[in-house]
Amino acid sequence: MKPTRTTGSVIALWVFGVLGVFVAVLPLLAGPYAQAIGRSVLTYLILAVSWDMLIRSGQLSFGIAGFFGLGSYAAVMAGKWLGMAPILTLLLAGVVVALVAAAVGSVVLRLRGMYFAITTLALAEIFRIIIRNWNNFTGGPNGALLSGVIFGGNAAATYTLMLVLGVLAIAASEWFEHGKMHFALTAIRNNEVVAKSSGINIYRYLLIAFVITSAMQGVVGASYAQQFGFVTPESSFHMNYTLIPLALALFGGMYTSWGPVVGAVILGVLGEYLKLYIPYGHLIVYGLIIVLVLLLMPKGIVGLVRARMREVSHD
Amino acid sequence: MTESYQLRTEKLTISFGGLVAVNEINFSLSPGEIVGIIGPNGAGKTTLINLLAGLYYPTSGRVIFNDEDISTRPAHERARLGIGRTFQLIHPLEDLSLIENVMNGFLFAQGMSLRHARDAAAEVCILLGLSDLDRPVSRLNILETKQMEIAKALATAPKVLFLDEIMAGLNSTETLTVIDTVKRIASEQGLGVGVVEHVMGVIRQLTERVVVLDGGRIIAAGPYAEISRDPQVVSAYLGEAHDAED
Amino acid sequence: MSKTLRLQIILGGCVVVAAVLIFLWKPTVLIYGVQRAGLYAAIALPMALILGVVHIVNLAHGELMMVAAYITYYLSRSLGVDPFVAMLITAPVMFGVGILIYKLTISHAVKGPELNQLILTFGVAMVLSQLVNLLTTSQTRKISLDYVTASATIGETSFGTYNFLFVGLAAAVLIGLQLFLKRTRLGQAATAVGQNPNGAEIIGIDVQRTYTIVVAIAAGLMGIIGTFFLTKFSIFPAVGGAYTMKSFCLVAMAGIGNLPMIVVSSLILAVAESSIQAIPGGSGWAPLVFFALIILVIMTRSFRRSS
Repeated sequence: MKPTRTTGSVIALWVFGVLGVFVAVLPLLAGPYAQAIGRSVLTYLILAVSWDMLIRSGQLSFGIAGFFGLGSYAAVMAGKWLGMAPILTLLLAGVVVALVAAAVGSVVLRLRGMYFAITTLALAEIFRIIIRNWNNFTGGPNGALLSGVIFGGNAAATYTLMLVLGVLAIAASEWFEHGKMHFALTAIRNNEVVAKSSGINIYRYLLIAFVITSAMQGVVGASYAQQFGFVTPESSFHMNYTLIPLALALFGGMYTSWGPVVGAVILGVLGEYLKLYIPYGHLIVYGLIIVLVLLLMPKGIVGLVRARMREVSHD
Repeated sequence: MTESYQLRTEKLTISFGGLVAVNEINFSLSPGEIVGIIGPNGAGKTTLINLLAGLYYPTSGRVIFNDEDISTRPAHERARLGIGRTFQLIHPLEDLSLIENVMNGFLFAQGMSLRHARDAAAEVCILLGLSDLDRPVSRLNILETKQMEIAKALATAPKVLFLDEIMAGLNSTETLTVIDTVKRIASEQGLGVGVVEHVMGVIRQLTERVVVLDGGRIIAAGPYAEISRDPQVVSAYLGEAHDAED
Repeated sequence: MSKTLRLQIILGGCVVVAAVLIFLWKPTVLIYGVQRAGLYAAIALPMALILGVVHIVNLAHGELMMVAAYITYYLSRSLGVDPFVAMLITAPVMFGVGILIYKLTISHAVKGPELNQLILTFGVAMVLSQLVNLLTTSQTRKISLDYVTASATIGETSFGTYNFLFVGLAAAVLIGLQLFLKRTRLGQAATAVGQNPNGAEIIGIDVQRTYTIVVAIAAGLMGIIGTFFLTKFSIFPAVGGAYTMKSFCLVAMAGIGNLPMIVVSSLILAVAESSIQAIPGGSGWAPLVFFALIILVIMTRSFRRSS
């Protein structure tokens, strides 16, 4: 009973797939600078995808930077105090952040709408303040330094690592979009009372989504910290890690796996160039994108393309 | 073989602030039985259903299902236990298609896999006379919306089913279609059905027993022919106009 | 009804006892707490106005104050006048900024989903702070004024008195808003719109116009408050963000639509914060108390709402 795909969409899928692989592999051929850009794009891509995965349940998080920063610190602390291998610290960061998200989520996921959104914003602030004040463990306001960076700073290797993480993130997002999760989260977003009456344990599904997406953000934070070899309360919890992913996901299109990916690739590459020309305040572009997309094309690029394709197929 | 389950309440009561919306109600529903729940606006009919389905928890009194006190069980667990319901104000899940709306119950109340849920949902939809199942719900007409609402409830494999003003907005032919469907499903599956309706013709044709609520209390119960002549019921429906004449 | 009244009396009693104890412990804690409460309440009140009438959480609220502070800063520097003189220009300019922001952004989302409204005003906040960052860099700026160092001594305790101005400011904003909402035609219309926009429309109130003016008034007030802020504190593009969160917390604690309670919630939070700061080694943790309280308050508020 599955809806049959039209030949048009099959072709589009193939074109998209081949193009995707090409774009993903390109930096490996093009050298360290392209790999650096690619790494940055993938960092924000994963954050954007994870944010979108949660908002499919109707829960708006402004706390991306919080879990990103927590993951950064978990990784650097594990390297500094335990001498753990960099790649293992990524895993550890994921577990630590997942545990924190489970503990915090079990309380704050009772909240909805503006109350949840602002609480997540406050959470990010709380994490930062705790880390800033926990002097003898975290290094306080000065942060902490690792003795080396991951893969000895090999650009191609780190790019490949980020690429793998990116593919994993997209796979998780696809799993959310095509599995039971999709039904549960969409039902919760559309109408919680109806969802409950269909037997959906709302709290359980929200918690699963919150823990998984937070852990993703934590792992990205860890990989980022390992690439640069240091953390500070101000840089690791920077508002950018909330602002940019949000803009990318909105631009590409919310509530889809591919929207945030498309948004991240287009805007991420664009953003890297903007950074060169306007070093101060290039972030204004992301703010403007959030505002303009919401006002002019709330379904983002993927939404626009889909509407256009539907028009064509109906003609 | 029909199972010997039963849903009943003991002095079920809920108050919101100072208002007692449902007041010491003893209600029961047995397999294969279709019971009408009637009463003037604000009598507590929908509140009673919400209490049974777990959307509200009682202030006092109990809900008992198969000899188990389920008063504090949350709504999703009651859906899994077999208490199904439709909504007076229908809210289809607008970002899911027709069949996906129906699949939810199979997926979550019955724990089926996606593939099985899709097949099962298609079956229920066809049973109810729905077709073109991949449509967005915005394209459904009112009859189809009501049919989908029943299909969604049936998807949870209910043992008791509450239909909250499911006929509202339908014309007489459509109403007959739905009455037939409900009767057929109730007898085939041995369902206990509770029907909230304002249209008395529907109650007369569909139910064997009627419970009349007013001000949160049961003021009369019995076969339709009997309670329709009950002076207390008449006065409840005529309300203040009648009081003024006294 | 009487139950909540009793609860309020008990709560009020606890607060008074706590205040007396704190005063006996360290008088300056209470004094600085009250001063800080004035600042918090003044900032939170315009947000409460928008939330109460337009039913939108303006996540760009703190950024409006930041923008106003910058406008006053540059006006005062370039014209060589006192910030309070420059405020006479800043306030009307901010009123205009409010109209602009409403017309360009919020007006398109007032009837949309809550999530979109939140993301939209978050976007506006980012645009404002990044715009200032782009124009002036992230460097910290401050105006040094002689009169802000004024101090007084009672017994053996000496303390700064300038910040009492914030208490006066909060009182003025509260009284002004109450008079506006209750005594003026426009204010009454705003109250009606806040309670029931559809009903207000039926009786002939221009809802869009009311929303525009309410947002503009709030922004205009932020012009005044931003100037007061500048006279005492350093400013930088990201200075507003924390105040957005604090304001929301205070509004949520007071209950949406309850302006006078904001003063009470500000007092509780500000005194708690300054108490923590007074504990040796506590100054770094003081913001944590605030954010922990934010979550606590939001949780209890929303539980009460849902039950």
